[in-house]
Amino acid sequence: MKLFTKYNRINITATILIFLAGSVAFYFVLDYVLIRQLDATLRSEKQEISEYVQLHQQLPEIQNTKEQWIHISKTKQADTKIISKSIPVYNKSEDEVENIRQLIFILPVKNENYLVTVNKSETETEELLKLIILVTLSMVAMILLFNYLINRRLITSIWQPFYNTINNIKDYAANQQALSLSKEPIDEINLLNESLNSMTEQIHKDFFALRSFTENASHEMQTPLAIIRTKVDSLYQFAEGKEIMMQQLLAIEDACLKLSKLHQSLLLLTKLENKQFILNESIQLKSILQQKCDERIELFQSKQIELNIEATHFNMNFHQHLAEILISNLLNNAIRYTSVGGTISILLNQKMLKISNTASAGSLDIEKVFTRFYKASETGTGLGLSIIKEICISAGFSVTYSYEKEMHHFIINFQA
Amino acid sequence: MKLLIVEDEYSLKQSMIEYLSASSYLCESSSNYQDALEKIELYDYDCIILDIMLPDGSGLDLLKNLKENNKTDGIIIISAKGELDDKINGIEMGADDYLAKPFHLSELAVRVAAIIRRKSFQGKSNIILGNILIDIKGKRVTVDDKELDLTQKEYQLLIYLAINKNRVLSKNAIAQHLWGDDMDFPDNFDFIYAHIKNLRKKLVAAGSEDCIRSIYGEGYKMQIA
Repeated sequence: MKLFTKYNRINITATILIFLAGSVAFYFVLDYVLIRQLDATLRSEKQEISEYVQLHQQLPEIQNTKEQWIHISKTKQADTKIISKSIPVYNKSEDEVENIRQLIFILPVKNENYLVTVNKSETETEELLKLIILVTLSMVAMILLFNYLINRRLITSIWQPFYNTINNIKDYAANQQALSLSKEPIDEINLLNESLNSMTEQIHKDFFALRSFTENASHEMQTPLAIIRTKVDSLYQFAEGKEIMMQQLLAIEDACLKLSKLHQSLLLLTKLENKQFILNESIQLKSILQQKCDERIELFQSKQIELNIEATHFNMNFHQHLAEILISNLLNNAIRYTSVGGTISILLNQKMLKISNTASAGSLDIEKVFTRFYKASETGTGLGLSIIKEICISAGFSVTYSYEKEMHHFIINFQA
Repeated sequence: MKLLIVEDEYSLKQSMIEYLSASSYLCESSSNYQDALEKIELYDYDCIILDIMLPDGSGLDLLKNLKENNKTDGIIIISAKGELDDKINGIEMGADDYLAKPFHLSELAVRVAAIIRRKSFQGKSNIILGNILIDIKGKRVTVDDKELDLTQKEYQLLIYLAINKNRVLSKNAIAQHLWGDDMDFPDNFDFIYAHIKNLRKKLVAAGSEDCIRSIYGEGYKMQIA
């Protein structure tokens, strides 16, 4: 719910309730005042009649009108209580029931008591009341309407800088420049912008510090590795005739190579997670696939693997280097887990890349297959598939693994 | 042939000097930017082996300096930054080759030899090993004028062994030279053995002496007297 909507709901409900209560109270107050006024008129009528009787010792001649009429009748009652009340009567000419206000009193004239009833129609009063209520209600409605319109305009324009800020930070990624949100006339928004500016600047700094740390750490690691490797190269020259030394040097070399690959892989993963690659090169996946398969031809031969490729030629927007890594890793993986005499089938079209290989050992752990350092065998770094996954994520592809008919299937869907 | 090795890591520099000196190169070295700058301004080298991260500057600036002064020295960058961007940067700035650390000395030797061959205007692009003659330009190998029919891999392998003659080369180093390092090698390097065996057979059949020796199947060596 938008702030404005929420605000409006509360505001309008409260306003309506207040005005409603106010209107009801106003109605009763007004009704009370008008009736009193009516009563006052009736009393002054009574006053007039009484004064006339005192002066002339006889009943006045009554002039009845439609609005006011007086009824006088003889009575035995000596009670001098004055009653004023409203009663509904039937009006023949209007064919409706209307309220009339009555003032009943006993008037003694020459030792005789008369019951005088002064009637006055309440219609006028009621009409006045109706009019006043109508005017009040329409004013309330107008106030509400204008309030709503003004608020809407005002709040929208006041909140505009806020929405601008939100739009700016929505697409913010840590590898971007720090935000420089503009100064706004409203203090709160200004405060928000300033905080965001300094926050993103800090994020940006931290990001680069972390990035250069990762890179430097990795690079600094490569130099000692280079020393180990070159020293091993030198030591090989003394290993002739010493088989054990040869084997041990080879083991050192293997470890050295593995460490170096591990570093490169971790560095690549970090870069992928940091979205440091811009995927806007037009590449031909088929030719990369062909090239990578050709490079491995001896590997296929040495394991007597049958290779079936069914590939369509097309261009796609991707990253040459990442595409090479992707294909290499998929192939390395397939070759590693195919037993001697197995089959690797590759299907490539504009929708997907599917690499399948025979494996009798059963399914890999579907939950864990793409997690780092998951290894189904002791070879490899355990990072190959997580690299594949990360590359797919950054390219917007989806990658799935399945095991069917004694085959591992890795499917990369380009349209995710 | 005169080489300049610019590398700040002492051990690594020494290894390179030892290895390349043994291949009859005259090696000079620098361990910092200033010293290297003076050397490249004063002398011409056939090939400069350049580390990018130096304590007092960047190897890329040295490269820029060389190019600005129209020097024709061959340049191979060796960097711990085995990243694509740096590689492309270096090549775009005029380096002849790029080798990421860690590397095999035998690989470095092959790259340096290739650069020097490309740079030499005398067209001396033949490698002679006893009665074996490798014509790099024509991509032909002859033994006593008899031409050998070698596959691409066998030819590459022969050059690699020839440049690093009389040295023990591990099967890892050979595999990485022939197939690059984005591959994942199975524990048995049978296919390397197969290539070596075929090459040996062809050389011997053509009348060369059997100069490729296997060191317990873990490494190989081309023995040329």
